[in-house]
Amino acid sequence: MRRFYLLTRDLHLYLGLFVSPFILLFAISVFFLVHGLPGAAGPVPPDAPRTVTGVHMPPGVATLQGRARVDALRPVLDTLGVEGEVDFIRHVARQHRLVIPVRVPGRETTVTLDYEEGTAVVSSRAQPVSDALVYLHKTPGPHNVDVRGNAVFMRVWRALADATAYLLMFITVSGIYLWTSLRAERRIGIALLVAGACSFFGLAYAVAR
Amino acid sequence: MPLPVSEVSPPDTPRRNPVDAFFVWNRRLHYYLGLSLLFFCWLFALTGLLLNHPKWEFAQFWPTRVQTRAEQEFRGPEGTTDLARARDLMRQFGLAGEVQWPNAQAAAGPFSFQVTRPGRAVEVKADLATRRATLQQTDVNVWGVVHVLHTFTGVRTTDAVNERDWFLTTIWALSMDAVAAGLVMMVCSSYVMWYRLRTKRRGGIVALLAGLATCGVFVVGLRWLM
Repeated sequence: MRRFYLLTRDLHLYLGLFVSPFILLFAISVFFLVHGLPGAAGPVPPDAPRTVTGVHMPPGVATLQGRARVDALRPVLDTLGVEGEVDFIRHVARQHRLVIPVRVPGRETTVTLDYEEGTAVVSSRAQPVSDALVYLHKTPGPHNVDVRGNAVFMRVWRALADATAYLLMFITVSGIYLWTSLRAERRIGIALLVAGACSFFGLAYAVAR
Repeated sequence: MPLPVSEVSPPDTPRRNPVDAFFVWNRRLHYYLGLSLLFFCWLFALTGLLLNHPKWEFAQFWPTRVQTRAEQEFRGPEGTTDLARARDLMRQFGLAGEVQWPNAQAAAGPFSFQVTRPGRAVEVKADLATRRATLQQTDVNVWGVVHVLHTFTGVRTTDAVNERDWFLTTIWALSMDAVAAGLVMMVCSSYVMWYRLRTKRRGGIVALLAGLATCGVFVVGLRWLM
């Protein structure tokens, strides 16, 4: 039993320290998300766009959909030197254009491809750290499921975001176990636990009933 | 179970100096905050997983949604602003929740808005000439409710039209702030507690640096690397 206690305490400590920067990331970004702060800051002007001609388009790119279209266009983006997660692809059929926002945390690049002419206009916009935090908080997220995870970094981030949630659950459960060993703090701890449960369930019920 | 001395909570005797008192209260703050925020942390951790895995079968809610449609007559509506008129209509229809506006009201069309709360959305289209309104209601199951609780702030960074306008949304948003602030304080207090454990310093530094480096690559590193 004592060995189990010591093991739990060490895991609580070391795993908690490892995951703490991720918890700070998710916690700090909450303030921006809850109060809509990135929008209030206003858009950052993009860098001067560059135009590339003679771009080789994969055959049938206009008719492809979803992930197949992203995968087909990835070599084109590589040729243009644009790396990152493709958010989505908007097809403007009348103008023979594909508009492709590509993101990495802290930078958004928009590639506009004219698949008839074989030209590409690439414009990039740096974003503040707050936008990077919000982006990481919200991704991979529930939207564009078919497309999401088309960049390696996003697949790694998905695993890390999941790991943060699982580790947070482990840390809370192990924390409860460690707290139960502190007899002097048991009464006030139970009172706070009950108060937290009442405020949580009461508020959730009031909001959702 | 006998515990190591460092694990036993210090007795409630007067502290010798403010530094000791700080360490005692730092320790208490850590587990008091943890216990009081426990259920909020579980909710946001669980729903974070659900949001990142929308294909998980057990948590599906949209295919099983229940939609109903009703028509109602109304008076007025009274009020000098769109929000006041919407609130008056909601009172007459027995609705409560956050008002979501369309990007623009059609000039010749009905007065339209949506009333949302976790688990329910009601699309209201009120014809001000005939004093009749159609109410399209969508209800989702408990998984839908917990999904929305994660994101129920009343504002979006990309939406300049809508503002938070329901007092319960404000309270929920403030509770999100409180959880976030509580987590930041818990992390800070854990650093203080860890640093006092001399035998754990080396291993702790390795764990903390590993976390900082991994997280830092995503927050500031990728924009330089890619």
